[in-house]
Amino acid sequence: MMYIDPHIHVTSRTTDDYEAMQKAGIVAVIEPAFWLGQPRTKVGSFQDYFSSLVGWERFRAKQFGIVHYCTIGLNSKEANNEALAEEVMELLPLYVGKEGVVAIGEIGYDDQTAAEDRFYRLQLELAKEVDLPVMIHTPHRDKKKGTVRSMDVSEEHGLDPKMVIVDHNNEETVKEVLDRGYWAAFTIYPHTKMGSERMVEIVRKYGPERIIVDSAADWGISDPLAVPKTAALMKEKGIPEAHIEMTCYGNALTAYGQSGQMEEKDWLEKEPIDQTKKHGGNTVLRGGQKPRVDNDSSNIIEN
Amino acid sequence: MQSTIRQFLKDLLTRNSSAESMRWLEDQVARIKGAKGDMKLFLAFSQASRHFSRERLGLTASDQSAAHEIRPGFQPGFWTVMQTARTLLVLEALTEENADWVPTLDKLFESADMNELEALYAALPLYPFPEKFKKRAAEGIRTNITSVFDAVALNNPYPSEFLDEPAWNQLLLKAIFMQRPLYRITGADTRANVNLARTLVDYVHERWSAGRNVVPELWRFVHPFADEEIIGLFEKVLQQGGELERQAVSLACFQAEAAGCKALLSRYPEFLEPIESGTVSWETIGQAFDAER
Repeated sequence: MMYIDPHIHVTSRTTDDYEAMQKAGIVAVIEPAFWLGQPRTKVGSFQDYFSSLVGWERFRAKQFGIVHYCTIGLNSKEANNEALAEEVMELLPLYVGKEGVVAIGEIGYDDQTAAEDRFYRLQLELAKEVDLPVMIHTPHRDKKKGTVRSMDVSEEHGLDPKMVIVDHNNEETVKEVLDRGYWAAFTIYPHTKMGSERMVEIVRKYGPERIIVDSAADWGISDPLAVPKTAALMKEKGIPEAHIEMTCYGNALTAYGQSGQMEEKDWLEKEPIDQTKKHGGNTVLRGGQKPRVDNDSSNIIEN
Repeated sequence: MQSTIRQFLKDLLTRNSSAESMRWLEDQVARIKGAKGDMKLFLAFSQASRHFSRERLGLTASDQSAAHEIRPGFQPGFWTVMQTARTLLVLEALTEENADWVPTLDKLFESADMNELEALYAALPLYPFPEKFKKRAAEGIRTNITSVFDAVALNNPYPSEFLDEPAWNQLLLKAIFMQRPLYRITGADTRANVNLARTLVDYVHERWSAGRNVVPELWRFVHPFADEEIIGLFEKVLQQGGELERQAVSLACFQAEAAGCKALLSRYPEFLEPIESGTVSWETIGQAFDAER
């Protein structure tokens, strides 16, 4: 089966992860622009980060047979540095129109401050202007209220719920998100967000419509194989194959495909992985390193 | 010259895109010219991907020679429809009279994605004031993204015309390191130099010590400076090398002026014959090496 991980911060993952993801059936990933674990202090750091999302990381993923998309946005945590946030807002129009940018995101609330609210609203307007979907990050603390508020404000700005993906849901938020017509994404992230067993029960209870599974794997203890592992667990626990396909592949494609920047043929018709031909010398293959050939375990490292 | 280039690109683009896409382009050009600041250009430059394909331009032989007449060495046969549209947007927005050329292009370069970088670098020879972009071109050579490197280095007359010797030598070395087809570097022979040749000889020793081969095309840039040591390397390849390497060294010997090279080559008539008849050239060697990989 093919999988999409529609929320993963692959810039913080190793090439081993990419290899494992590709082997597990992940064909495409979406990397939302987020913070880096430590707040940035200069607008140039944002610019280089956005450039790496549409440049180097996309190239790196391709070398492992995975198609990389991204979302561009100012995250809620860093919206609290208002002077810097204003500069970042000026930068966004440079990036939102680029190929493979499938949404404005991840945006929304963290502490639910006035500054967060201001930049969330500005970015909803930007999404409308460029006709892109929105990926909403819902807060860890005071989640239920924050989730409801995210949707209220989005509606206040006139966004169609079908263009909005609300992420990091749980058992407490899912019903209202679905009832109001939004896409409900779930992040399988150990200890803080969801476990895969809970996810299985949610799909059993609510069915597969508009439900999306992702990993949000990043620089923390997280699992880049969360989507294929959850799919395997669903299968084990008797969830119908078609429902697994929708929640772990098809729905993400439909939701983010509304950008016009993501199509199934991007991975179905892509060239086979050929690290020698496309990337030569010193890219991810250093020096005379031999390209991936699935060699058996041995202490010999290729010359 | 700039208006001739613009008209030429526009004609090519019109033949390769729909009327609707061309209307979008003309509309964008009007908006860019009518607006203050660069934002309209930046948005149109990115969004060209929504209106133009990534297919190569269809070019006739007369298009190719017209291109060469307008700008010697310009080879739009390697360009995509989309990059042609992007180049045209830039050239329409930033005419010769516009003093803000460089800062605006800097911003475009700094925020570009891969396909955009390819368009910006491949268009270096078409910009007014091309001498202002020497540092930018040298920066392009530092990339590790193959397609971007190729946009600067291959089928582009800019580097051999404008780069200073250290940057030029970096281009050649990096192309060798990344196993790029050297025969597609425009004007490469004109920039052969002794420093490059010495560095390449060191590189050959380093590779051989590590039990690795070198790209056969490398010898093209060594032979003009053939001395006793280099002739010794030639001999070693002719004795022990693979078929393609031996062809390459034979051709290098054939083109070298040093007397020792002719003498060496005369001992290998089986390699001399196809060179004299024209069936072996740097192009055929480069293409054969590319096909082998």
